[in-house]
Amino acid sequence: MKRYFLIYKECIRVAFATAATYRMNFFLNTIIMLLGDILFPLVTVLIYGSGAGFEGWSVYEVLLIQAVFTMSLAIADMTFHGIMWATMLAVREGNFEMSLLMPVDTMFLLMAKNFSIDAIGLFLGGLTIFIIALVHLAVPSVFMWLQFAAMFFIGMMVMMGIALIMAATSFKWVGNSRIPEIFDSIRSFGKYPQSIFPKTVLVISACFIPVAMIGFFPAATLMGRGSYVMFLAIIPCILFMMLGILLYRSMVRLYQGVGG
Amino acid sequence: MGKIITVENLIKKYETFQRGSGLKESMMSFFHRVKVPVMAVNDISFTVEEGDIIGILGPNGAGKSTTIKMLTGTLYPSSGSIRVMEYNPTKNRKAYVRQIGAVFGQKSQLIWDIPPVDSFRMNKAIYGIPDKDYTQRLEVMSKLFGVEDFITRPTRVLSLGERMKCEFIMAMLHQPKVVFLDEPTIGLDVIAKQKIREFIKEMNGRGTTFILTTHDLEDVEQLAKNVIIINHGEKVFDDSIDNLRKVLGEKKLVRLVLTKPLKELDIEGADIIEKESELNITVSVDLERITITEFIEKLSKRCDFTDISIKEMPMETIITHIYQSKENYGTA
Repeated sequence: MKRYFLIYKECIRVAFATAATYRMNFFLNTIIMLLGDILFPLVTVLIYGSGAGFEGWSVYEVLLIQAVFTMSLAIADMTFHGIMWATMLAVREGNFEMSLLMPVDTMFLLMAKNFSIDAIGLFLGGLTIFIIALVHLAVPSVFMWLQFAAMFFIGMMVMMGIALIMAATSFKWVGNSRIPEIFDSIRSFGKYPQSIFPKTVLVISACFIPVAMIGFFPAATLMGRGSYVMFLAIIPCILFMMLGILLYRSMVRLYQGVGG
Repeated sequence: MGKIITVENLIKKYETFQRGSGLKESMMSFFHRVKVPVMAVNDISFTVEEGDIIGILGPNGAGKSTTIKMLTGTLYPSSGSIRVMEYNPTKNRKAYVRQIGAVFGQKSQLIWDIPPVDSFRMNKAIYGIPDKDYTQRLEVMSKLFGVEDFITRPTRVLSLGERMKCEFIMAMLHQPKVVFLDEPTIGLDVIAKQKIREFIKEMNGRGTTFILTTHDLEDVEQLAKNVIIINHGEKVFDDSIDNLRKVLGEKKLVRLVLTKPLKELDIEGADIIEKESELNITVSVDLERITITEFIEKLSKRCDFTDISIKEMPMETIITHIYQSKENYGTA
């Protein structure tokens, strides 16, 4: 365990060193990600400003959901989303054996080696909106904060499950770079109040592909608007991540490499 | 010294799709693709003694790299068994790869944007190398390779030769018992090649076993004690380098500069195999049929010459013969 911690620490150091090497690229990336993803909550503000909105939800409640979603996305981008692109590229170029040669868990190594600080701007943007929204809402209790932390963590599991499933598919379907876009679209359901969706979508986003856990459920706990559904959704979320891990591990065996 | 690697009836087959090259065939392949089975490695068996340097030779696509990848545990064989030390590479991968090292000439372990020394630190963390050992090993290997000046420069600004030296350090920091090298000298200049060969010899002297695939016959001639030749996925030769030289028989090449053109040689056991000009000829002498002394004696009676040189049969000629032949020379 200590060795894994040291490896992760070393990978973070390398990520900072790489970012420092291309400072301009890092700053531009940070700004572009910040603008791109912060634009969405701004649209929400504009919608509510024009008198429209999501029925039963105030602008700050919606902003809180979207801020939680943005922060989840940023942390996922920094910590484990890299495995998706790294696996796809390594399989396509036949470099995956370089990871298999290392005496550590391949999945962990790829996640650690692809730690990226580019999404730090996105996280800070999400955090800013989170604070602004929270200031305008009732102060959450300690219990609510604990629930939020747990739900946020479980939401991370869902994101990891999605990333691993997508990465695992690249062992079979080499060059499937458009598949993540489908998941990106499905994931978007997590950044809206779930009550606006029909029941079928609700069931899917809570139980089958539990994207509601990425933004909505954690935010709802902070607003005291949680329901029993979100607690039921914990099980599929954990199963979703386990499925991702198992699928990735079994698909690694299909790796064929390329001609030498 | 005992056997460190035992490979038995190793087979790797996979399926790929046949695709057409023209527009019509490319369009057709959207709807129907023909599966083509590929036998990358076909029933290969061999053993390697501890402390050996084994050269694996073969033309492009012969199955050398696939064999090496299966030996490193990064590719699963279709059937057959591999035993390296006490490990089966496909099982307990993490424990196994801790004991081996690998350098793939066309793939890099170094992190492109940061100096090699930072990549070394990454491997230090991955292999859990203690600080003292790491510093000591890095110092020894840096001196052996003469890389002290550039390991702190970003990898991307280094030359191929410099990068390759760093790849070797990267692969050897954890002191592996067996090292697999897949075309380690590809694209390098003669000085860099020589430096790498010296490093391999030095490490082999310290007890490391090396398995290398290469197209560079000089690598094999200078390093390997034994040679395995793979062609079309099958082993066609497995023996010592000395016996490899005897594949075409005990032959010598005699280069002559004549004073007058020679119509026919007419010496039993000797044939003109190359005529650069009327006066510059190369003769192949079969030592099983005639000794060099007898040949020179007979030759001096038939013609006058101003220069003579006697050489071994070039390795290229022998290897080309084996690649093109369907005969199996596996004598081990």
